[in-house]
Amino acid sequence: MTAQTITHDESPSARGGTVFDTGYRSYTGRREGRGRARRAIFKDGLRTALGFGRGGRAKVLPWLFIAVLSVIGLVFAIVAGAADRLGGPGTAERVNLPSHADYYGIASIIVFVFAAVVAPELLCPDRRNGTISLYLVRPLTGSDYVMSRWGAFLAVMLAALWLPQVILFFGLSAGDPAPVEYLRKHWLDIPRFLAAGAAMAAYATTLAMLVASFTTRRAYASVFLVGLFIITTPFTVGVADEIGGTAGQWISMFNLTNVPVHVNDVIFGDVSEVTEEAPARALGPAVLVAWYFVCTLVPAGLLWWRYRRLTP
Amino acid sequence: MATGEVLLAVERLTKKYGNVVALNDVSFRITDGITGILGENGAGKSTAIKILLGLMQPTSGSATVLGQNASESIAVRARVGYMPEHDCLPSLVSAAEFLTHMAEVSGLPPSMARTRAADTLRHVGLFEERYRAIGGYSTGMKQRVKLGQALVHDPAFVFLDEPTAGLDPAGREEMLTLIRKTHREFGISVLFSSHLMADIERTCDRIIVLQGGELVQSGEVEQFTKETETVFIEVDSNRDALAAALERRGVVVSVDGGGLTIEGPNESVYDHVRDALVEAEAPLRRMAPRRRALTELFERGGDTARTGEAA
Repeated sequence: MTAQTITHDESPSARGGTVFDTGYRSYTGRREGRGRARRAIFKDGLRTALGFGRGGRAKVLPWLFIAVLSVIGLVFAIVAGAADRLGGPGTAERVNLPSHADYYGIASIIVFVFAAVVAPELLCPDRRNGTISLYLVRPLTGSDYVMSRWGAFLAVMLAALWLPQVILFFGLSAGDPAPVEYLRKHWLDIPRFLAAGAAMAAYATTLAMLVASFTTRRAYASVFLVGLFIITTPFTVGVADEIGGTAGQWISMFNLTNVPVHVNDVIFGDVSEVTEEAPARALGPAVLVAWYFVCTLVPAGLLWWRYRRLTP
Repeated sequence: MATGEVLLAVERLTKKYGNVVALNDVSFRITDGITGILGENGAGKSTAIKILLGLMQPTSGSATVLGQNASESIAVRARVGYMPEHDCLPSLVSAAEFLTHMAEVSGLPPSMARTRAADTLRHVGLFEERYRAIGGYSTGMKQRVKLGQALVHDPAFVFLDEPTAGLDPAGREEMLTLIRKTHREFGISVLFSSHLMADIERTCDRIIVLQGGELVQSGEVEQFTKETETVFIEVDSNRDALAAALERRGVVVSVDGGGLTIEGPNESVYDHVRDALVEAEAPLRRMAPRRRALTELFERGGDTARTGEAA
């Protein structure tokens, strides 16, 4: 900013004044390069996913899903608290009311629909509007771009998945007649639900973003993803039941909504209501966890490869 | 303002898409100033720009911007701006938010990005409209946002691909004025791609002409539009008699539309013209030195140097 000092000699006090030229000017300050560019894409991804800086309509869906997921956690906590109050300490566990181990399984369909609806928002418009061409001529590679976007949506998914579990944990602690004793007995649920939530978030984020990378239209990506998650479930269950045996167990692995829920079960050492009757369980935890990594890492590699090709 | 430093260098650049040759052994250098890259659709302008920006690898040859290969050096992209021809703007965000974001993506800290976004929007004439969503802007306003995002990080060099595309005459004039101002007041060098010769002629200091993927001309715009060494004579009648009278006096003359063109005039030619007019009894309507138009570049392209320095 250039400043010129002028003096009014005719004024009795001869006071000075300053005129500032606030127009376009050269920039000689710090340039933070690729790191700043990645952070900017990440930050913009967060804002896009949550509808910040956009109109009211852009905020409705993400916040509705986050609210629904949180309400489920709250309802679990209230019901368990009421059971413990009415039936005495430990009643909720005794009657096997849904808790941390069950939450991700029960909420999985909502989580996947959330990913299907919101993830395309982070990739499709940039290609449809042509904004990606502006990013790629800046200090940023295609890989930087897609990893930053992936990271942004993963962060949103983590928040959406962990928040209800935190609400549930504090709800169960507060509802227990002996809160300190509850914390002492159940503190391990915290790393468990963090790990299981991270597994589900990484899986849903990667799959949703991979599908979104194939189209410039958000609606196509969303419909395809919802179909993929919702249709594969009854289809694989039906076919697996019909065939039975080892083949049925392997077919059951293709129930895409169950893939991270099996990992959740392994982490909690429990079986959630959703996977209770899944034939794939018979294959054992090692196979289920390995299959999870295949289902997450292969799409992640494909996603990276698709954007890696955009810059030479 | 001119330093003579080479900002952009292309050496024997070739790009092939299968059997199609988009650029064929093209070489040129650009120093600071406003350089126009002129060519019809498919001439190779956009391919050249994409290679220079590091968005595409050449089949052979090299292209450097600010001394570095943009596809190998990510850092150099922080000093380059690009305004594409195609749509590239998000519709839901405001111009202020978009430019702030693009400044950050160019590496500026967030506080500076906000300040520069406001300054740049003032420069391109959108300061009052900066909080409106871009989707509601007119075509002219969107072109200004596109120019703004190319300038917001204070690049040393900016590529403008058809910046006047889709603009009405008034909007086009304003855009050309902005481009001239961007260089003359802020020292940002410009490579301005267009198929509109009038825009190039009015805005650029230098010109590169591509045709069918080959460089057909490069040099100062003035060099191409200066007065040619010909004189055009128009008479009301007896044109052929005048031509014969001039030829008898040893003047090289050619019929040009309704008049005559004299090549390589000198002091004595004007005396010959006077005498020939009297002899042929041809009433003189107009006699004037001619200026070349840029359109002639395409007609004369093949006869001239195929490489050059646009400096």
